[in-house]
Amino acid sequence: MTSQIVTAVLIGLSIGPGLSSNISAMDQAVSAEDRIFFENKIRPVLVEHCYECHSADSEEVGGKLLLDTREGVLDGGESGPAIAVGKPDESRIIQALRYDGIEMPPEKPLPKTVVNDFVKWVRLGAPDPRVRPDVAPTLDTSTSGDEKPPLWSLRPRRTSAIPEVSNKAWPRDSLDSFVLARIEAAGINPTNDAEPRTLIRRVYVDLLGLPPLMDEVETFVEEYRADRQTAVRTLVDNLLARPQFGERWGRHWLDVARYGESNGNDGLGRNPTFPHAWRYRDYVIDAFNRDVPYDHFLTEQIAGDLLPSDSPTERDRYLIATGFLAMASKPAKAMNTNFDMDIVADQIEVIGTGIMGISVACARCHDHKFDPIPTLDYYALAGIFTSTETMWGIAANEKLTASPTDLHVLEAAPKVLPPEGFVETVLVLESNTGIPKPIPKSKWPVGTPLAIGVRDKAKPADCRVNIKGDAKKLGDAVPRGFVAACHTDASKSLIIDPKQSGRLQLAQWLTRPDHPLTARVMVNRIWLHLFGQGIVRTPDDFGVYGERPTHPEMLDHLANRFVEDGWSIKRLIRSIVLSRTYQLGSDVEESLAKADTENLLLARHSLRRLDAESLRDSMLAVTGQLNREPAEGSIVRHRDILVNLAGNLHEPSNHRSVYLCYLRSSMPPELAAFDLPDFTTVVGQRDVSTIPGQALHLFNNPFVIEQAEHFAQSIMKGSTDDNHRVRSAFNRALNRDPSQNEIDQAIELLRSTKTELRSDNKAWNSLCQALLVTNEFRYID
Amino acid sequence: MSFSRRAMLQSTSCGFGGLALNALCGEQVAAASDSGLEAQTPTLAARAKRVIFLCMSGGPAHLDTFDCKPQTGKKKHPGSVFQFRQHGESGLSISELLPDTAKFADDLCVINGMHADTGIHAQSFLQLHTGDRLRKRPSLGSWISYGLGTENQNLPGFISLNTSKSSIYSSAFLPSIYNGTPIGVNGESMSLATVSNVGSDHLPLSAKRRQLDFVQMLNRGHLKRRPTDQKLESVIQSMELGFRMQSVAPDLLDISTESKATLETYCVGQQKKATGTCKVSDFGRQCLLARRFAEAGVRFIEVSHGSWDQHKNHRRDLQANCHVTDAPIAALLGDLKQRGLLDDTLVVWGGEFGRPGLTPEDGKNETGHNARGFTFWLAGGGVKRGYVHGKTDPTGARAVEGKVHFRDLHATILHLMGLPPNDLKYWHAGREHRLTGPEGGNVVHDLFA
Repeated sequence: MTSQIVTAVLIGLSIGPGLSSNISAMDQAVSAEDRIFFENKIRPVLVEHCYECHSADSEEVGGKLLLDTREGVLDGGESGPAIAVGKPDESRIIQALRYDGIEMPPEKPLPKTVVNDFVKWVRLGAPDPRVRPDVAPTLDTSTSGDEKPPLWSLRPRRTSAIPEVSNKAWPRDSLDSFVLARIEAAGINPTNDAEPRTLIRRVYVDLLGLPPLMDEVETFVEEYRADRQTAVRTLVDNLLARPQFGERWGRHWLDVARYGESNGNDGLGRNPTFPHAWRYRDYVIDAFNRDVPYDHFLTEQIAGDLLPSDSPTERDRYLIATGFLAMASKPAKAMNTNFDMDIVADQIEVIGTGIMGISVACARCHDHKFDPIPTLDYYALAGIFTSTETMWGIAANEKLTASPTDLHVLEAAPKVLPPEGFVETVLVLESNTGIPKPIPKSKWPVGTPLAIGVRDKAKPADCRVNIKGDAKKLGDAVPRGFVAACHTDASKSLIIDPKQSGRLQLAQWLTRPDHPLTARVMVNRIWLHLFGQGIVRTPDDFGVYGERPTHPEMLDHLANRFVEDGWSIKRLIRSIVLSRTYQLGSDVEESLAKADTENLLLARHSLRRLDAESLRDSMLAVTGQLNREPAEGSIVRHRDILVNLAGNLHEPSNHRSVYLCYLRSSMPPELAAFDLPDFTTVVGQRDVSTIPGQALHLFNNPFVIEQAEHFAQSIMKGSTDDNHRVRSAFNRALNRDPSQNEIDQAIELLRSTKTELRSDNKAWNSLCQALLVTNEFRYID
Repeated sequence: MSFSRRAMLQSTSCGFGGLALNALCGEQVAAASDSGLEAQTPTLAARAKRVIFLCMSGGPAHLDTFDCKPQTGKKKHPGSVFQFRQHGESGLSISELLPDTAKFADDLCVINGMHADTGIHAQSFLQLHTGDRLRKRPSLGSWISYGLGTENQNLPGFISLNTSKSSIYSSAFLPSIYNGTPIGVNGESMSLATVSNVGSDHLPLSAKRRQLDFVQMLNRGHLKRRPTDQKLESVIQSMELGFRMQSVAPDLLDISTESKATLETYCVGQQKKATGTCKVSDFGRQCLLARRFAEAGVRFIEVSHGSWDQHKNHRRDLQANCHVTDAPIAALLGDLKQRGLLDDTLVVWGGEFGRPGLTPEDGKNETGHNARGFTFWLAGGGVKRGYVHGKTDPTGARAVEGKVHFRDLHATILHLMGLPPNDLKYWHAGREHRLTGPEGGNVVHDLFA
């Protein structure tokens, strides 16, 4: 199925009955109900069982019948129309499915329930939201003489002309033209620009993960009135230069890198710390702040140990970067003959899913069922990592979990000794006897700066296929290499030196300007954090079963710009934030919302919830408690211990959340309620769940209560007049003045609470906490 | 028959939208529902209304608990190394290590032909809970809550006590309201474990109610300015459920109102120290809490004990594991029975696999993992009483008769709950998913009374 068809389907999907009169191309409006039925019951079956022979993409169209458009179904093929609308028994497609005269699909009949769905569909009048696809895609034929890759994301990026739009005054950036063209084609109008108060809050949270202060809001509103774009440009440049930018965007990357400060449960309940992982965290924050070009950023993380360096500081940084490949949440080594290959699987997964948006992992046991990844490709990559030594450290001296490894010893980083009187908080017990084990002497002097990471093994070698993923059943060795489906002519020339692991070549291969996936996937990740949804709404899956891009030409346009702009993340973010599309309001008329419930057309911005870190940081910022300096190190930096035996290791902190201790299976309690991933796999987009545990957190968690107290204290100090205080509390928490009704209700809450509890403080605490937990505080428009 | 819950969510104006069962019945989802947790009438005749899963993590040794394998010839072979005796009218064989459970022999429905795909702990444990051994998938309890909602609107439908990884109680791609609520994770003392943040005395409930009213006034104003957003309404609803939980859950978790006799029968707080792999988990308190949650209308309650992964010190550690779980389990069965709850509560006992047998008198005391044959038992909830299904070969190494895979166990549990196992589906990432996987599971009708 081509992306064009999908695009067309998405347009079809986005058009509701309320707008059908505007759509001349649609001679039949499909009701929401029918559309759902079609999308769930009919289309997947057509895609899976029929398109191979009955679609525009088929090599040979069976019976000249096309089932990939509504017209195709109605027009039929050699033997006439596929359906008789409303009459299942007379419809050829039903007869074929029933194996009555003709037999389709030829291999074996589909389950009766599926046939019944088709009967129902025909009886309903065969409602079909699909429209005729655009003309066939024009591939740049010069790139390859081979067969074209069938998957959209593996095709070379295209350079599309900037689309013509009717409303020429609307676009500010060329990306706006791509968006507006789609909106105009759907016969609707984009919503208005966001109010400046809304916009500044959005930009602050998106770029820094923090809300603006009230005076920053007022200044911006004034400047915006004078000259909109200059005001926004000044604001964006200012924020991109702040160190909080790297803390915000580095955190997004740490999700992709499955960053954790402990191994996580090894399956036997043991969870050793990673005492040195925090250095990788600091490296990532720093890289985002310095705007290290993305291609170099990746190369450092995959092969930093193999790069030449100018100084001991740079050398340290490169070694720390390779921590990216040493973060595996390892299953216990005890009784696990596949242990080494489990580490390799994690490395392949973070490269595949994290960088390329394609899961290579299932090819460990069999050729990928959907995506073009054969088992041989998996073991070609695996050879690179089996030729690599992965260094996670001593794993709390618990050999049943993992054997101890060497670590990178840093040169320039300062030696930091444990605080005086430091005592290890937990002893490791011998697992069968329960007797405490003596703490082994470290091979390094106390305080030696160390880092987890990787380096080449002394004798690199190709990897043999593990038949069905079993390390004991070995097949042939596969020459080290890359994923064949992503090859371009030029990249085929990259040869792995047999004396090296091949990581450097892997990094070069991934960051070639013509790699079909690397730039697309990262552009999409960046877009996702600015809009709440990606252009591809499955940011970690660009494969057959991932979603198709809503704006494929724009995705390629932005990816091209990204590469041509020297892979600069800051520049890309800047362009997007300065676009008209980004600056749209999120409030819309009901008709527009209904026409495009999922906001596939981007005719408005979307309401988004603050993530766990931004919520905590915003609370600290509003109450005046935030320590904006980076926190140093980690609470586990001197602790090589089993977290599961240690109880709660977390300590209160006023630093930003990114500096809290991300122990797997033991998350910081201040963050745990709001959909933190478990940091064992690549997570490009966090869940946004709504569960009662979150409400309990907001109303009862000691951190929130304490922040409310600080907030109340500072509000009460500011004035003696209750009206004035209420106004000031609203200003600080919500960046706006309260309405008269809101003031009245607040005063009433204060009065009744004061009467009941006989405490002014408690009354103000209650009001201040209330403001911090409102949806208005926790969501940005 | 299948359906897409996601599509329904999009088609209705409420956050959690329609209901699995309505969809299973082929009905159109009509009005907005409050939370997605409303109790549902199942499509099949339900034999059980709720499940208590006694999860014995680590792989309990079937040959020394419920699957008696005496020596058969002159040559010694692997088998049971503890004594078995027949119990009750049914004459069920139960090991000497479980004297209290044995008193309920006539209530047990023992499955001796269990088998699974892998002897790797993490994978088999995940498969036991979710049907999949590699990826994060909805847990059994999430599927059941999704299908049936909960009977108590003040509590979540799925509670997991002394749990491990979140993947064990995750709703994965199912709506998050069906996520398990963990009580006691990762090394917390199970004697104190509670629902996080369920209470705080910084304000009395009356003042909290007024505070919440003020918040909801602001939330509704905020929602009014954004009439098209569906998330905000569900946040307002879940704040109300959270508030209701505050008034109900602390009392439920407070077992001090139970009689001294009850606390003693359950052995609450009696285990003082760990023995080898047998950890302190205050299993008695867990079992008592399970009964209280069951009574309060929670759909799926998992209680966990481990580790049964006794490699080197098989005899001592197995004995310890049996000892600390035996009386609490018997207390739970007796308590449920006495309260008339056992009839519609399905109790499930088992772990991710079994263990190979030791050979008597050869001096060895070390066992490994065996996924090819092991034991589960069920009780209550419409299953046969005093019945043994299936068997392993004479050394207990593999299931040979009445084989039941995890998929089949899942199918059987769903069926007992009134849910059609292979039709309870959810559309996600381009295809329909179900607990029983692409292969589907077979309902083991022989187990039903």
